[in-house]
Amino acid sequence: MKRKGNRNPEVKKTTGCALLVVFGVLGSMIAALCGIVFLIAVLSSSETTSAPTTATIDLAYSLEKDALMQDIVARFNRANNKTPSGLPMKINATKMEAADIVDAARAGKFTAISPDSSLWLAQVDAGRDAPLVGESTRFAVTPIVIAMWSDAAQALGYPQKQIGWQDLLAKAKSDANFKWSHPSTSSASGLLATLAEFYAGANKTRALTEDDVKNRATLDYVAALEKTVRYYGEGEQATIDQVLARGRSYLDAFVVSERLVIYFNGKSSQKLVAIYPAEGTLWQDHPLALLEQPGLTDDQRLTYRRLRDFVLSPEIQKLILQSGYRPVDLNLRLDDPASPIKKSNGVDPAQPQTTLQMPSAAIIETVQASWYLAKRPANIYLVADTSGSMGEQNKMNQAIDALTTFLDQVQGDRDRVGLVPFSNRVYSTIAPQDISAQRAMLKSQVKALRASGQTALLDAVSFAYDDLQKRGDRDRINAIVVMTDGIENSSSIKLSQLTDKVRRGNASGVPVVIFCIGYGSDADWNVLNALADATGGFARRADPDTISKLYKILSTYF
Amino acid sequence: MNRTRIIFFAVILLALIIVGVSFLVSQLSGNIPSPTAQPIQVRVVSALSIEPWVQDAAQKFNAEKRTQDGRTIVVTVTPMDSVVALGKWDRGEFTLSDSRSAVPTAWIPDSRYLVELVNATYSAKLGRDVFLTDGEYRARPVVTSLFSWGIYDSRYQVLTKKFQTVDWKTIHDAAIAKGGWPDLGGDKSWGYFKLIVPNPRKNAAGLLAMVSAAGEYYDKVTISTEDVTNPQFQKWLKELMGSVTDFSSLSAYSVEDLALFGYSVGDGGQLLESDLLVNMQGIQTRWSDPLRIVYPKYLTWFDFPFTIWMGTETSAAEKNAALQFEKYLLSTPIQTAAAARGFRPANTEVSIAGNDSLFVKWQGQGANARVASTSRMRAPDRDTLQALLRWFDLNVGAK
Repeated sequence: MKRKGNRNPEVKKTTGCALLVVFGVLGSMIAALCGIVFLIAVLSSSETTSAPTTATIDLAYSLEKDALMQDIVARFNRANNKTPSGLPMKINATKMEAADIVDAARAGKFTAISPDSSLWLAQVDAGRDAPLVGESTRFAVTPIVIAMWSDAAQALGYPQKQIGWQDLLAKAKSDANFKWSHPSTSSASGLLATLAEFYAGANKTRALTEDDVKNRATLDYVAALEKTVRYYGEGEQATIDQVLARGRSYLDAFVVSERLVIYFNGKSSQKLVAIYPAEGTLWQDHPLALLEQPGLTDDQRLTYRRLRDFVLSPEIQKLILQSGYRPVDLNLRLDDPASPIKKSNGVDPAQPQTTLQMPSAAIIETVQASWYLAKRPANIYLVADTSGSMGEQNKMNQAIDALTTFLDQVQGDRDRVGLVPFSNRVYSTIAPQDISAQRAMLKSQVKALRASGQTALLDAVSFAYDDLQKRGDRDRINAIVVMTDGIENSSSIKLSQLTDKVRRGNASGVPVVIFCIGYGSDADWNVLNALADATGGFARRADPDTISKLYKILSTYF
Repeated sequence: MNRTRIIFFAVILLALIIVGVSFLVSQLSGNIPSPTAQPIQVRVVSALSIEPWVQDAAQKFNAEKRTQDGRTIVVTVTPMDSVVALGKWDRGEFTLSDSRSAVPTAWIPDSRYLVELVNATYSAKLGRDVFLTDGEYRARPVVTSLFSWGIYDSRYQVLTKKFQTVDWKTIHDAAIAKGGWPDLGGDKSWGYFKLIVPNPRKNAAGLLAMVSAAGEYYDKVTISTEDVTNPQFQKWLKELMGSVTDFSSLSAYSVEDLALFGYSVGDGGQLLESDLLVNMQGIQTRWSDPLRIVYPKYLTWFDFPFTIWMGTETSAAEKNAALQFEKYLLSTPIQTAAAARGFRPANTEVSIAGNDSLFVKWQGQGANARVASTSRMRAPDRDTLQALLRWFDLNVGAK
């Protein structure tokens, strides 16, 4: 008892110290533990946030299905789909030419693509060890046809006789007034038409070889034929729009997809018929492909699959049929009364009977390259406005950059380019010569352009036009490219006089096409459109995209 | 309170604090994984032909919330052409990936041929097979589908009138007819005879078509490298392949091509029976010319083996969970669903001779649940398959 109650103050002091030490150690350990736990929590959290992810798909699709794709993408995005992790499934869609889609895909710019044909998918993967094209499906198909006015087709024997590429080509070679067109080889329909020419030139309908394509006789045949082509245009939709705007005097026959024949007949009282070529045709099969780009996320895969299921859904497949495509859903009948694929629309659901054999990607590349050499070279006049207003808002420098870019982009050495600078009047013109002979000189002249004076736009165009007519070069496509910002205020010739002259000259002399690029808000679009419309060209604002691709855009016209 | 008690209470207090803090943190953050709560992920790479069926099965399997050792199993299915997957195995793109999640737990290729090709690659690297051929984890077919001729009836009538039967020799003779269909007794508008064969670099069906053609050419079930490199055979095969309309875009969807583009791209070809059966109705609807099915003398098929990756990249739990999904695919209801898609079930309890069977529905067009008197082609060795692919690259693919 005594021992219990009689505690030594020294012992109490020692015990108190021990307690302090123990709680001190404990406190430190708890603090350390909390610190570690906090650190772990922070690290875990930072691991979660340090791996940014996205479910958005960047999709490139071909030009001719712009309206359909805009509708599909808008419907898809409106549905506000989400991945299991809560990320929004969105599509950013961009339209571009099929051939450009290939380049953009290979450059890693898109995670999904939908060109007009699967043949471009082979080009995306050409020369790669590991394929870039991943999962893919098709959601709409349409055969490529020769669109012809009903009575013109009947004159060739339609519908009793099977009309083929050979008939079209023979007509084009024998009748100087026969005007036909096909798009450039950067779309499936243009490529098919070109392939058909090479097959015809090699006198084959299958087993086309690289040697066939490079054979002199084949190239001469294709070159002779290409001289009869009135117009190439920026894809088949642009061709249809031109024919709708100008009527049947513009073209007698042109190569487009079956869907566009239906589209045209729905908008015009004059009727086209679809000729399914006897030797064979090609299909646009509109693939939707995921690209296995580095960094592709699982969430993006999920978005692609949701989009794939969406385009294959009954709702969208019906929309596709109503748009004039043949849907991939075989349950939808083409002979249904509501289907637009019917003879009264100029098309036949039982056609085509046969297709041309599709060569390998390597041969297709050779065909594209050979076509460029076989098609008609051009005489081009660059008509440059150097009036005082071009000195405002940096417009003169922009025009100089645009002209320089254009001169750099002119390919090969076959095109001839000249320059007509103007302000109050036309001064110091340079006549069109082979670009290889005067590219450097033209660039130096362009660089020296300075802004001053008034705007004699019509006189400058008239000068260039007269010079091209005087040359009378029918073996070449003749074109005038006008770059201006202002309102005409100094010419001696009036607009109506000039457009009359141009129309008469184009009918009796060599056809000249005028393209107008307008700078700033002052450009007189009535004048520019009138000049372009009189010749089958176009008038556009000088936005960066138009300028950077100006030569490429123009080269689809000649 | 003596020193011992103080220390005792201090330790108890410390333990309580640790447990409490840990609990609190795990509740608040939710980021600290609890090994027992995580589901077991089974990643299945599936051949395209059966992917819709496997995907449906996976959805049902996941909805049933099946477990293993108390953990839920979640199956995800990635569709991938088997030849593309083969390339990824060969290049180590699955196994050498930085992420373990890139390694499939299981692979269902079109054919056992492809499993053997992967095993041959890894045997050279690791000295062992990575997909087993016996034991519990062995590669096991989940369904099968034969290759049979699918030919538009109008064309079939003309061919049998001239050649009596449809086989590779008939197709070869049709392919080399100089004037095309008119020379064979067909319509001028049909153009040349057009054969459908998938690109063997994109679709194993193309490879099997060449194996089957070789079997018939030599009239035997086993072909060797010497057979493939025989110049006379190569000439014959080249003439045959010359009638294929398009190798550039045809990949895994050859019957779909036949349905979508009709006789314009192909008069017929040796194609997967299941694809033919499910597309028969659609072809009639779209082209009003039915397909005729003819079983060849030398039979090839896809057996769709469920193969579990035996590498260390996947855990034992994942392998066992994959095994559970494999058993699910072989269950009677799921096999019945496969039969409805035109496959021949691996589960013998499931019949394809019932009135609702596609085999019975299209009997009039030549479909048959029991194929009589044919010879089964044996799987060629890796060198022979490689020789066929090399020949294709040099003579057809690059031309």
